[in-house]
Amino acid sequence: MKKSIKIYPAAILISFLALASCKKTIDIEPTHTANGDVIFDKISDYESALTGAYARLLSVNYYGSSNGSSAFSVLSDMMTDNLFESSESLGNYQNFSHWVYTADDTNIDATWLAAYRVIQQCNLTLRNIDKLASTDQGAVNRIKAQALALRAYVHFDILRYWGEGTLRNSILRGIPYVSSFDIEQKPARLTVKESYDAIINDLQLAKSLMQDMDKPIQSTTSTASTARAYIDEIVVNAVLARIYNYAAVPDSAIKYSSLVIAARPLASRANFPLIWQDANTSEVIWSVKFTPLNSGVGDNVYYAVGNRASYRPTTNLTALYDQANDVRYSSYFQLRARGSGSRLVVSKYLAKQAQLGKPDGITDFKVFRTGEMYLIRAEAYAANGLEGPALADLNTLRAARINGFVPGTETGAALINAISNERRKELVCEGQRWFDLKRSDRIVDRISNCNVFCSLDASAREWVWPLPQSEILANANIEQTAGY
Amino acid sequence: MKKLTMIIITLSSMLVSYAQRTLTGTVTDAQDGSPLPGVSVSLNGSKGGVITNPAGRYSIQVTGNAVLLFSIVGYNDITVNSGSGSTLDISMQIIRKNLQEVVVTGYNTQTRRQSTASITRISGDDVKSQPIGSFEQMLQGKSPGILIQSQSGQPGSAATVTIRGKGSVLGSTDPLYILDGVQITASDFQSINPSDIETYNILKDATGTAQYGSRGANGVIVITTKRGANQKTKINYDVQYGWAELPKNKLELMTSAEKINYELNYDRPDGTNPFGWTPEEADSLSKVNANLKDALFRRSTTAQHQLSLSGGNDKTRFFVSGSLFNQQGLVITTGLRRATGRVNIDHTIGNFKIGINTYVGSSTFTNTNENDQFIGSPLNAIRWANPYVTPYLPDGSYNELDLLLQGQPNALKELIENPGKNKQLKLVGALSVDYKFPGIKGLSARTNIGVDYTENENQQYFDRTTYQGSQQTGGQGSFGQNTTKNNRYTVTTSVSYARQIRANRFNISLFNEVVKRKFNGFGYTGFGLVGPFKNGAGITPGTSSNGFIPVVTSTETENAILSYFAIADYSYKNRYILSGTVRRDGSSRLADDNKWTTFGAIGASWVVSSEKFLSNSKLISDLKLKVSYGSSANQGVGDDYEAKEQFGPVSYNGVGGLILTNLKKGDLTWEVRRTFNAGVDFGLLKNRITGSVEFYNSNTIGLYLNRQISGTNGANTILTNLGKLQNRGVEVALNFTVLQTKNLTWDIGGNFTYNRNRILQLDGTNENVNGLSINRVGESANSVYVVRYAGVDPATGEALYYTKDGKTTTQYDPNDKVIVGKYDPPYFGGFNTSVNLKGIEASFLFTYSFGNKIYNGDRVNVENPVYYVSNLSKDLLTEWQHPGDVTNIPSPFNDFQPNTTRFVEDGKYVRLRNVTLSYTIPAGTFGSKISAVRFFVQGQNLITWSSFKGYDPEIASGVLQGAQYPALKAITVGLNLGL
Repeated sequence: MKKSIKIYPAAILISFLALASCKKTIDIEPTHTANGDVIFDKISDYESALTGAYARLLSVNYYGSSNGSSAFSVLSDMMTDNLFESSESLGNYQNFSHWVYTADDTNIDATWLAAYRVIQQCNLTLRNIDKLASTDQGAVNRIKAQALALRAYVHFDILRYWGEGTLRNSILRGIPYVSSFDIEQKPARLTVKESYDAIINDLQLAKSLMQDMDKPIQSTTSTASTARAYIDEIVVNAVLARIYNYAAVPDSAIKYSSLVIAARPLASRANFPLIWQDANTSEVIWSVKFTPLNSGVGDNVYYAVGNRASYRPTTNLTALYDQANDVRYSSYFQLRARGSGSRLVVSKYLAKQAQLGKPDGITDFKVFRTGEMYLIRAEAYAANGLEGPALADLNTLRAARINGFVPGTETGAALINAISNERRKELVCEGQRWFDLKRSDRIVDRISNCNVFCSLDASAREWVWPLPQSEILANANIEQTAGY
Repeated sequence: MKKLTMIIITLSSMLVSYAQRTLTGTVTDAQDGSPLPGVSVSLNGSKGGVITNPAGRYSIQVTGNAVLLFSIVGYNDITVNSGSGSTLDISMQIIRKNLQEVVVTGYNTQTRRQSTASITRISGDDVKSQPIGSFEQMLQGKSPGILIQSQSGQPGSAATVTIRGKGSVLGSTDPLYILDGVQITASDFQSINPSDIETYNILKDATGTAQYGSRGANGVIVITTKRGANQKTKINYDVQYGWAELPKNKLELMTSAEKINYELNYDRPDGTNPFGWTPEEADSLSKVNANLKDALFRRSTTAQHQLSLSGGNDKTRFFVSGSLFNQQGLVITTGLRRATGRVNIDHTIGNFKIGINTYVGSSTFTNTNENDQFIGSPLNAIRWANPYVTPYLPDGSYNELDLLLQGQPNALKELIENPGKNKQLKLVGALSVDYKFPGIKGLSARTNIGVDYTENENQQYFDRTTYQGSQQTGGQGSFGQNTTKNNRYTVTTSVSYARQIRANRFNISLFNEVVKRKFNGFGYTGFGLVGPFKNGAGITPGTSSNGFIPVVTSTETENAILSYFAIADYSYKNRYILSGTVRRDGSSRLADDNKWTTFGAIGASWVVSSEKFLSNSKLISDLKLKVSYGSSANQGVGDDYEAKEQFGPVSYNGVGGLILTNLKKGDLTWEVRRTFNAGVDFGLLKNRITGSVEFYNSNTIGLYLNRQISGTNGANTILTNLGKLQNRGVEVALNFTVLQTKNLTWDIGGNFTYNRNRILQLDGTNENVNGLSINRVGESANSVYVVRYAGVDPATGEALYYTKDGKTTTQYDPNDKVIVGKYDPPYFGGFNTSVNLKGIEASFLFTYSFGNKIYNGDRVNVENPVYYVSNLSKDLLTEWQHPGDVTNIPSPFNDFQPNTTRFVEDGKYVRLRNVTLSYTIPAGTFGSKISAVRFFVQGQNLITWSSFKGYDPEIASGVLQGAQYPALKAITVGLNLGL
């Protein structure tokens, strides 16, 4: 007995030392996240990374809204004469609607980061993908094309806020163009022209890759709720049309908008309201898909769940519509009850069809529609002096939207003004108004519903956003926007 | 000489034979009245004598008025005249701190004399009766060098504990907690029973912390629980009841009349009378006193019961306890209930000693949101709700007027209709086996296997009629349940060899240790709570059209440390002492090339008072000098896979995808804290005055900072070891027994710490700004960084600011930010005094800190004129309105800027942390069965002296966001009974 007792402690000791000494104890791999050094050896991993890039657009600082900058959905309208801040607002976006932002503004910082985060995810999708080209060229092309096009598109969005100029050959400061994932890089700002060059280059490369793919980009079995979710060739053409219009290159704008119009005709008046309920995708070119797990697109303007209309349409805007006959008026605006009364709110992003009874503000963000393509082409024709085709496009659009529309006969300045007004009516809260003003006369004039901060003149520095202070501190190669 | 002695002895024995009588009595502990067995009672000057029995009783033969000497190790000797009676009860005082005190590092146990470390030992019984759910809060003000800030008064909430300054900027600054050799998680303390704790040993310098290697940098708190002794079984019962309430609020808001007046008569950008009150409405609303505070808050109660048994024989000893704790929260619906049980058994067979500790704690708690800016938080609602909006309508239904006026939901409704609860199950167990090798003297081995297991389950229901419920996915309420399990085991195996060869004593131990932690979590939130059930049964199954798609989450992470280390001590003549530690840690959390790091420490001390030249000193009874230097590290940063490039799940258009969630950090390593410590421990006048003075300098190298990278990479910071931080300080502790007589004792004590925190180096850059704070070389980490507010221009009402170079300007520019102070207090401590008169004791504990600033975000939200639809600070009644108005509140037409010194306040305070009045009934009063009875009344946080505009100046981060849940004012009464 005594002997065996003596052996025990030694045995216990040795067994625990053996157990503990095993070096494998400290080699632990994650199970609920994936290690980037381990995955990316098959097409499906790259597909997943691309899905991630699209998902980055749902950020509250991109197309999402609640508690974020909503920079590319509704913020651009909050900064202009389309909307005014109501007493229901919590005041979180006054820096923007009052144009008093500075380099340390948290929303500017968050927008910069959210946009480059989409690009980061595109670049991760492209990282080393070519090693699979020999085995699956078609799939590689399909994934690469989307990643390149999305990367280019987001750079263009960044250029719209931060580019000091808008014209195609402007040598003012543009933006850094990031085409690889390397956290140590400190890119400088290109000129506006160079920024456009890089953007258009990626888009053209994407288009050429789209000619040789293993399968179509859009799902062939999609329903209204899943259709037009991805960037295919039509979307790339629409991106190019918008870019050339913004950069004032009418010929190219006409070329690409015509391609899109041919592929996706305008919606009927019956279908038009259903677009906003995500029950119909007529004329929708690219729709970024939101689910109840994301934030609402329009929350910062009208927060449907809390019935808080922080920003409301100005009477100056609503007076432009033929309110009884224009399908857009009833699709975009509604009287919503509050207390014993009611007020007009932007209801464009109220809810998907099934939720209209108890609206949650969750809808898809329609990035491109054919309506915009008609307006781009009309504007480009007019710029080229082709008033007839310009008026024809304008009238086609107006006839499609307004019941009993009598074709207009505007010419000259009146035509240009009519196209501009139509853009305002057509694209309210679709992320365009601020940029339309920026590329034209650079004046915001809130002639209704305004007591303070009612106008911004052309010389104001605020037409170009400051780079975030954090970028200035971290990146020695970058220059702050003029005036900040 | 010899002869003379013989004569005296003969004489005295003759006297004895004359008028001898029997003197009896009981010897008790003066502190708690418990009987003291084993006390030697002798006639002064004579050998022999008697020993008290397990009930503390003695019986001795005396003659006349003899002089008796009572002595026992650990207590002050008492010499007393017997008088002429036949009974004499004595109560003895524990010797205050001296070099015989035992300190525990977790891996070894030494007397303070033998240790070269800087360790504070706090007795569990000294602090256990404070009415606080989480034990670490009880240590506030008790030890120098340890700053304990209870940011929250929420039942069971954990405090922020910082030992010798924050050694990390981004990493955790929480100390490591070791309970009976097992690492335990700081966030679970609400499930630990403080009454089970025997001692807290706070390890502050490298001698102690290097033993914990990569986990020790923030200091270590080693906790031992009570164990049985070889004595008659003792039963103790403690009961306590108490009441608590909110401290005084110094942020005054407008009354109804004032608010209506402000709405109607103050000129604003949006015009006056925003809600369009008619004169009649305005008049009647002015008279409303809604008193939401009284509806949301209550005077809360605390009750606790604790029963313990301990005893044993020479082979087996045991300690068994059970406790119940029930504390209401101040906010209705909140509170903490806890039930605990513990069994500690020690058993010796032959050369084996086996120890088993098992602990089960179960708690249920309901919290409310705090320290946020959410409009649904009740603690914000009491600030923001309009004072004329009553919580209920006359018909008893909730008044939703504020939701309409300003989007502020009815806080009472949100609270009552949206119940939530958390349950925690805590198991801590350890099995140890010690073995003395026969044949080789001094050689022994030990294995300790410990488990710390925590299971949390929380449930939250949101009713569809509430504001928060309407915001859930689908807008019809929700029910969610989350379960997390945290399982950490620690296996420590060691071989030790200890010998004494003449005056040389040495001890060396070799250790191997594995600490492995596995965390997993699972949860779901379901929507569409439209039926009768307010739980999981009420969830409407989600379809593609109803919007009630449930959310399911699942996580699992794991990490491990594998270590080899050695601890050695050597002493000569028990006077000159050297100690050393070397530890090599491998961690799963670092990149492959960086996994292993070596730590170590050396220390030396000299017990000067044992030298001949001091051995006869009347003044100096103890004097020890010590010095140490060594290193340890901090693991508390990032997640378990921080060094790896990680992709997490995401979905788009119904398809699952991957997004980058963590950047790869191949060079990441631990931030290492190197600490130098020098100190002196002293005892004067037979240890009536004891104390210590220590100086330390600790440098954190490889400080974790978020290196700023270009945001064009999709991230603008990356965690990097790039800085150097210094904490340098002085600690002083002093205790003085002013009076000590048979019936009266008076002690005073105090401690003081000065810690200077300074950034020595940031990688390449000179500063790193983060919102309201900055890290700048040469300044304290986390310095307050805002624009200086210069008041209001009386002519225009515009706010004025100072530019960087001190000129006043009306233009707010973030480039004018300057450092105006620090958020972490550099000076802090506590002082206490207690007086004991014949068993009646009064003790007072004060705590204080100063030298820091607080950013008061609570004020920002009630001083911003944009929020005129909510209630506002009374100060806004002095808002600038007309040219010539001299005020500190700018015109409402002026842009409101929160990041200025206008909202920075002085953080200094002194608090009467605890006052206790107690009466210990002399032993024997109720016969021999009941050995101790003690009654007490105590007050917690009764008075706080501070100028902070809010409820409480104790704000650990230095930035109050809003919704403050302050430390409560509490009064409790209690009884301790010993059988």
